[in-house]
Amino acid sequence: MEKGLLPELAPVAEGPCPGELQDFDSLVQRHRPRIFRFLLASLRDREAAENLTQDCFMRAYKARDQFRGGSSLGTWLMHIAANLVRDHEANSRLKFWKRKLRYDVDLNDVGDWMPDHQKSPEALALAREQVEAIWRAAASLSERQRTVFLLRFVEDMDLLEIAAVTGMKEGTVKTHLFRAVQSVRFGLEEGK
Amino acid sequence: MNPHLSGEQISKCLIGDGTPQETQHARDCAVCGAELARLESSFSQFRGSIRRWSDQEEHLSRVREVAAVNYENHLERLLIPASVDLPWYKGIVISVKELIHPPKLPPLEITSKPVKLASLRGLYGGHETTAGIGSVIVHVAVVALLLFAGTLKPVRQAMKEIVPIFAPDLKPLQPKPEQSKGGGGSPQQTAATKGELPKVAPKSFVPPIQTVQDPKLTVNPTIVAPELPNITAGNYGDPLGKLGIPSAGNGIGTGIGPGKGSGFGPGSGGGFGGAAYRIGGGVSAPVAVVKPEPEYSEEARKAKWQGAVLLSLVVDENGVPQDIKVIKSLGLGLDQKAIEAVQKWRFKPGQKDGKPVPVSANIEVNFRLL
Ligand SMILES: [Zn+2]
Repeated sequence: MEKGLLPELAPVAEGPCPGELQDFDSLVQRHRPRIFRFLLASLRDREAAENLTQDCFMRAYKARDQFRGGSSLGTWLMHIAANLVRDHEANSRLKFWKRKLRYDVDLNDVGDWMPDHQKSPEALALAREQVEAIWRAAASLSERQRTVFLLRFVEDMDLLEIAAVTGMKEGTVKTHLFRAVQSVRFGLEEGK
Repeated sequence: MNPHLSGEQISKCLIGDGTPQETQHARDCAVCGAELARLESSFSQFRGSIRRWSDQEEHLSRVREVAAVNYENHLERLLIPASVDLPWYKGIVISVKELIHPPKLPPLEITSKPVKLASLRGLYGGHETTAGIGSVIVHVAVVALLLFAGTLKPVRQAMKEIVPIFAPDLKPLQPKPEQSKGGGGSPQQTAATKGELPKVAPKSFVPPIQTVQDPKLTVNPTIVAPELPNITAGNYGDPLGKLGIPSAGNGIGTGIGPGKGSGFGPGSGGGFGGAAYRIGGGVSAPVAVVKPEPEYSEEARKAKWQGAVLLSLVVDENGVPQDIKVIKSLGLGLDQKAIEAVQKWRFKPGQKDGKPVPVSANIEVNFRLL
């Protein structure tokens, strides 16, 4: 998927050199939208997503020696992002009230981002309902399940890539993904 | 026929983990195939909503950035919270820079000597406490007002919106017969004859080529049109027409040509050869009322491609964009996305003399991943 980017990576993976920051800047430009989108979808909180995107690139920069090009840079950055989501989730579990508030607020917003080229108001309303049902279902998933679900259905990653990002075995990814899909389908049926 | 797939089997097919038999069944069976397609479409709606949301959020940061850099009027300044002066993503590179090279501050040099000062009390005639409390109250009120304003829907909406740049088209428009706003003839059986166009006037009191019996007041024939090619001939007619016996063309109305109305050419309404009015000189600019945002094309998103597409268009008298053309292309499918978006835009039409008229305009559609 991101293989075309690998050759440009060399300066980042090597030791400090004058052009390094510029390269890092362009790397941020290139990968930030995707990382931000994943974090936004995972946390449903713009501010937190912005902060974690920043953290993600900070960590990537500090740990640039560890990146050996074994996986694609996109996968590696996503791996850092997924870890950040896990830490964030672990911290905010204590603040369950805040989490609930956040879901309520954001679920109202989500429907605003429907593509508006739907054929009819009815079709739009139906699509909106479905999207909201998926959001609700995704919000109730465990952090692992949701991450796997988002990587598969929003970021279009295949099972192997997801395994690389999450550090899980392919079989484990399948199990999580299967449970996530079952829950979301249940949510969709319920919403009818 | 095998029994239909169970719910669990469908989920497995959806994540690409079905057995060959299950996958085959899903492909062959209309019922199970439809169920899978329905789920896939819901998931892709979901994906679309997330992508749009995240694009908008990013867009919003960019709008804030622009506003923070060069807002000039005080209202905008009020609408932008001070904390967003620096867009968050800019901070990434800066903080990385500071991480490696912490900025060295020059040593502090003290050149002045401390001066002994008598108590400040008394300088304000003993009103310090009242003034202090008053100041606190005023500040709290202002901050509360700002916070409140920030939560208002219109304000948030305003921050969400990008306002496209409206530049009046300064190039002369070429006549386009297929698109003309023209006028019609009497109707007569033959096409309009070649001749000189009548003088252009805001209103056509006396249409060209029409027999007026014993006029009480002589008025030179005029047509309603913004711009005309110039030819000299002994009669009024279509400058692009054929020579022949005098005819006002086979249209309807008082103009010249096969159209309808008081102008010239095959269109309808006042005007000539596709010439919409241009902004300025008594013609007001159309105002976009409904303006859905353009989508990113998949290729452009992958290539992280960004920039602006400049479109020219004519906003017709109903506020509907017509004749959208790309002036400055961006490529990677974004031109098409820009056109698609602008086709859905609706305008308050431009006006001349209080009446809506077709007006040509340029629109810049921005695509940014920042
Ligand atoms: Zn079946």
